[in-house]
Amino acid sequence: MPQMRRLTNIRKNLSVNLRSLLFYLFRNTVFLKIRLPALAITCCMLSSCAPMRFVKPLEKNQQAANLSFGGELIKYNSSTIPVPFLTANYGYGIDSALTGFASVNITSALFGNFQMNFGATKQLLKQNIYFPAVSITPSFDFIYRNKNAAKFYPQLAINAFWEYGKKNNLVYLGIDNWFELASKKAYGKTQENHWFFMPAIGHSFCGKKGSFTTEMRAIAPNLSNEKLVVEYRTPFGTNGAFGVYIGYTRKF
Amino acid sequence: MKKIILLLITVTIFMGCFDLDNNLYNPSKISEYKLDNYTGDTDFHLDLSYRIPDSLVHIFTLASQSSDESSATTIYAIYIGSITRIATDTVIMYCHGNKDHMDSYWTRGELLANTGSKNRFGVMMIDYRGYGKSEGESSENGLYADVDAALKWLKSNGLSDSRLVMYGFSMGTAPATKIAAENYSMKPKKLMLEAPFASAETMIQDASGMDLPGDFFTTLSINNGEEIKSVSQPFFWIHGEADDFLNIDTHGQVVFDNYSGSYGEAHRIPGANHKTIQTTMGFQSYMDVIEGFIRLH
Repeated sequence: MPQMRRLTNIRKNLSVNLRSLLFYLFRNTVFLKIRLPALAITCCMLSSCAPMRFVKPLEKNQQAANLSFGGELIKYNSSTIPVPFLTANYGYGIDSALTGFASVNITSALFGNFQMNFGATKQLLKQNIYFPAVSITPSFDFIYRNKNAAKFYPQLAINAFWEYGKKNNLVYLGIDNWFELASKKAYGKTQENHWFFMPAIGHSFCGKKGSFTTEMRAIAPNLSNEKLVVEYRTPFGTNGAFGVYIGYTRKF
Repeated sequence: MKKIILLLITVTIFMGCFDLDNNLYNPSKISEYKLDNYTGDTDFHLDLSYRIPDSLVHIFTLASQSSDESSATTIYAIYIGSITRIATDTVIMYCHGNKDHMDSYWTRGELLANTGSKNRFGVMMIDYRGYGKSEGESSENGLYADVDAALKWLKSNGLSDSRLVMYGFSMGTAPATKIAAENYSMKPKKLMLEAPFASAETMIQDASGMDLPGDFFTTLSINNGEEIKSVSQPFFWIHGEADDFLNIDTHGQVVFDNYSGSYGEAHRIPGANHKTIQTTMGFQSYMDVIEGFIRLH
């Protein structure tokens, strides 16, 4: 009986703690004010709003819908959290080696920005035992809020990937690249950075209809992250940012 | 597919429902001001020689109302000094930063009050709406209205424009610059900015490395980099070279470079971070440069 009582107490405490946690999250995070440290969420726009869209093209006429979540790791109070970016993505297999896709950034939309990404993934090389398959993904990101606030970013991702196992799980290594076309920024200062590269590593567990992907990427590791309003958490110390993502893709 | 379409419809419905404007403000509420007895987070501590006698500390409320409001908001203010001397002496209007409340900035006020000699200058501080014991919610227009309410009080106690020095720190540089540049209840004789920011857009561009428009993230129109162009009064700028929050080159230096008034004075402090200018320089050196500027002209 005492053991039963102890178990009941533990369950009660757990329940109370869980409720407190949910209340805390509700009160302090997304639903109320998104109190990320001053404008921390801005960093998300540094391309890594989403992981790689498609690494391996779909079959001809196959369709896929994907949701991904994650972003750069930043300091939030005393914790480290990823910037909460949610992206929805749709792809269509134009042929067995070429997939077109379009995606919308849901988090951006909630903040009043229309942000879409359009592109295509083309497989260039097939896997030969240990020699990886290679794909290339040109795309562009379009962000619009009003006539004074609209941006266009070309992107180019190159991925090497290996399928393994009975379910054709997939592991990939890639580099995503964003290009800033503007020559000037605020107050007429010169925009010095035009190329943002992001080495990434990811893995997909594949099922019959869907796949679950995790990805990590180093974001602009060549740039200093010091003296910013955002405190990035990265294994690279004072350089760049480090993003973590999860995604689920459903094929149909 | 249906689920994705449903999600997109939901997103469309809620599109633009959130904004990041409130991230500028980082207030905390308190039930009483403790000043020297405050044990919370402060940027530095002072020894007893800087203490302000109780007779020279006045805590009171003001009614603040911006032009777009139908009723006034009650905010708290502290005046350091003898109220009877306001009509004859120089007063520093101190606009604090975005964190916490006046208790956190009390030692900064004490330093300014003791600049030149013991209890030399009158110092006016307020808690913006939403901060400390002040009522209401923080807002951009509220910042300007709240500082203006303090100026109205000073004016009603005999302060003239020629004896008003406006001092802003970090977020407080926004109302300080705005009021120096535009038409409010008083026109300060001099403007002093400590660790100013240029604009929210600059913060965003620094953080992203990209030329991203500020409109993507905020509707705040605070722009010290532009506002300073309308300031003609003598201007004092002080900024830590090691400021890891507001980069001295992309923020403070831009504000200083855009100033085209009668006299500008720049102090780039080697080794100083956002909140450590006073401790890095040493209190006396800091007060010396402050006094030097106030006594100028």
